[in-house]
Amino acid sequence: MSESNYDEIMKLLCDRLSGLSNSSIQITPETNIISQLSIDSIKLLNLIMEIEDTFDVSIPINALTDVQTVRELADLVYKIKSAS
Amino acid sequence: MSSTITKLNAPLTQAFDFQPSSELQFTPTFNTLTQRLADFDTLTSALEYAADGVTGYNFYDARGNLRSVLPYSELRDNARTLAQRLYSFDLPRGSRVAIIADTSAEFVELFFACRYAGLVPFAMPIPVNLGSHAIYVQQLKGMLESSQASIALANIDYVNFLQEAVEGVESIRWVGTPGKLGELPPVYLELQFNHPDEIAYLQFTSGSTRTPRGVVITERALMCNLQGIVRNGLEIRPGDRSASWLPFYHDMGLVGLVLAPMVTQLSVDYLATRDFAIRPLQWLRLISRNRCTVAFSQPFGLKLCTLRARETDLKELDLSCWRAAGIGAEMIRPETLRNFAEKFASAGFDESAFLPCYGLAESTLAVTFSRIGTGCKSIQVDSKTLIDKKMAARLQANGRKQNEFVNCGRPLPGHTVKIVDEDGEQLSEMMVGSVLVHGDSLMTGYYNNPEETSRALKSGNWLDTGDIGFLLGGDLFITGRRTDVIIVNGRNIRAQDIEELAEQQPEVRSREASAFGVDNSEDGTTTIVLVIECRLTSVTERQSLTIRLQQLVYMAFGVNCVVELVPPHTLPRTSSGKLSRFAAKQGYIQRTNLTGQLFFVESGDR
Repeated sequence: MSESNYDEIMKLLCDRLSGLSNSSIQITPETNIISQLSIDSIKLLNLIMEIEDTFDVSIPINALTDVQTVRELADLVYKIKSAS
Repeated sequence: MSSTITKLNAPLTQAFDFQPSSELQFTPTFNTLTQRLADFDTLTSALEYAADGVTGYNFYDARGNLRSVLPYSELRDNARTLAQRLYSFDLPRGSRVAIIADTSAEFVELFFACRYAGLVPFAMPIPVNLGSHAIYVQQLKGMLESSQASIALANIDYVNFLQEAVEGVESIRWVGTPGKLGELPPVYLELQFNHPDEIAYLQFTSGSTRTPRGVVITERALMCNLQGIVRNGLEIRPGDRSASWLPFYHDMGLVGLVLAPMVTQLSVDYLATRDFAIRPLQWLRLISRNRCTVAFSQPFGLKLCTLRARETDLKELDLSCWRAAGIGAEMIRPETLRNFAEKFASAGFDESAFLPCYGLAESTLAVTFSRIGTGCKSIQVDSKTLIDKKMAARLQANGRKQNEFVNCGRPLPGHTVKIVDEDGEQLSEMMVGSVLVHGDSLMTGYYNNPEETSRALKSGNWLDTGDIGFLLGGDLFITGRRTDVIIVNGRNIRAQDIEELAEQQPEVRSREASAFGVDNSEDGTTTIVLVIECRLTSVTERQSLTIRLQQLVYMAFGVNCVVELVPPHTLPRTSSGKLSRFAAKQGYIQRTNLTGQLFFVESGDR
């Protein structure tokens, strides 16, 4: 996996999250998904499905417990993708 | 038809082309044994019988591929072997064993191993929320402490959380994975028979970190409830097969879809809850492909399926085999069922398969079942009479405001339901009040928690369900859930647990937080509102508290909430100084001008 893949993951996350969020705030890697965006569990599951389908990965549920920011989510997807 | 089934079966074999286990075969629907319908003394004697047949449990992955198969014969052998390992701890009979309940063969093996070894297993949840690590560990710790567990087990994905949780829990003798347990030296003791009066398992009903409640269910209560479910509720017969995505750590998932199939020697096809939540149609594909006849869901699960199904999906499904679509675990809205039936009619779903039922973990699982094969029946009652007289009167004229309630059916044999008013006096038919249950399926109490037990079990051993409803012609209609439970997206959240989280913040004093759910009557969604009496004056500090609370609630329960900060003494209290959630909710509704939401169906707190 190269840098461009990471950027691609980050871009997809930012795009989708700004579509899912009710607020108009600018999404950055440091945006806290829990406190700054009101993403409910259904939207979150939709996002995970999209990530899994787009990058052909499976995101284990236990790994999400340490994710709060967009960057942490991108790091996780990147790590899983690199390992696969 | 048969060609469709063959086609739908195809991915099963393809997926395993690259694996040595390509011969993996799911357990058949038809058994070689004469079917017995839960007429056993104990779980282990039921398993000994089922083990002589060819049926069992099947586990599928997110893509619908068969990943592991556990025939009852193998379950019996593996559970007995693991029981010998458990003997090596030399624990007193009835010691508790905590198991994080992933949807896996390993969990079921451990559960039965405990019963063979005379130990009491209980299922703990898996973490499901973003950023929930710390709170999840606290929740596990709460259950371990409350149960005074001796052993804690989790598979490799979750054992790290468990290692953190057992820190400082004095009762814990050993923690590890099933693999590690298997490496312990076996002790060859003769397996003893369990007695029907012994505890079969504990069922935790709350995500509280401070006051978890472990429902105690005996072998006798369990078998009584299972008999009612499989004979009277479902009329189980040879040729039945189940499919389930329900978590093994919930009563409906464990009792209804793990234990009930085993005591009737049926095969089951499992999908992990997470995989269902992301791709709900995989569940329907399993039903269609394996010709399953019995499958349960909360209304929310049906809603997810309805939302996600596309025309192309409908074409590949044949749900005509599904004869018992059990619906329970939360208030049933008739339109949720109607929407599902409409959507899947072209896929062969027959709405007479809907089987509304009512129950709770404190009564093992089920209390009432509607009549199988008749579908969802409901009644329309006049809203004004309901509010003014707390009475359900059939709607006489069109155009009046009405409420529709689902018929949840009659109590299982040996069980009685009565409706009482605030003073505990029994009410007549059509009158709305608290739902009380009496019968052999009731819990013995909450483990090690006499205070909560006496609150739930009233004199004469009547269980106060906390739910509100009325009886009509012997059938139960639920009109509202207790105010101390908020149901969001199919998950039961105790108001007390949210308030407790808030009170752990330095800015919030005890008894100055009130949580409740506000329903949106248009789209049927529920919003959690947390009202805090707050002395902070600085805008930044107030903002920081609000954000922190929202974040904590999200991490603990996976839901968003509205936080309202109000001046001290705003929250209404009862004469004893206790906060009244019902009054707090009405106050909030008035402040926010949602007056249309004032609901009559709620009761006071239990």
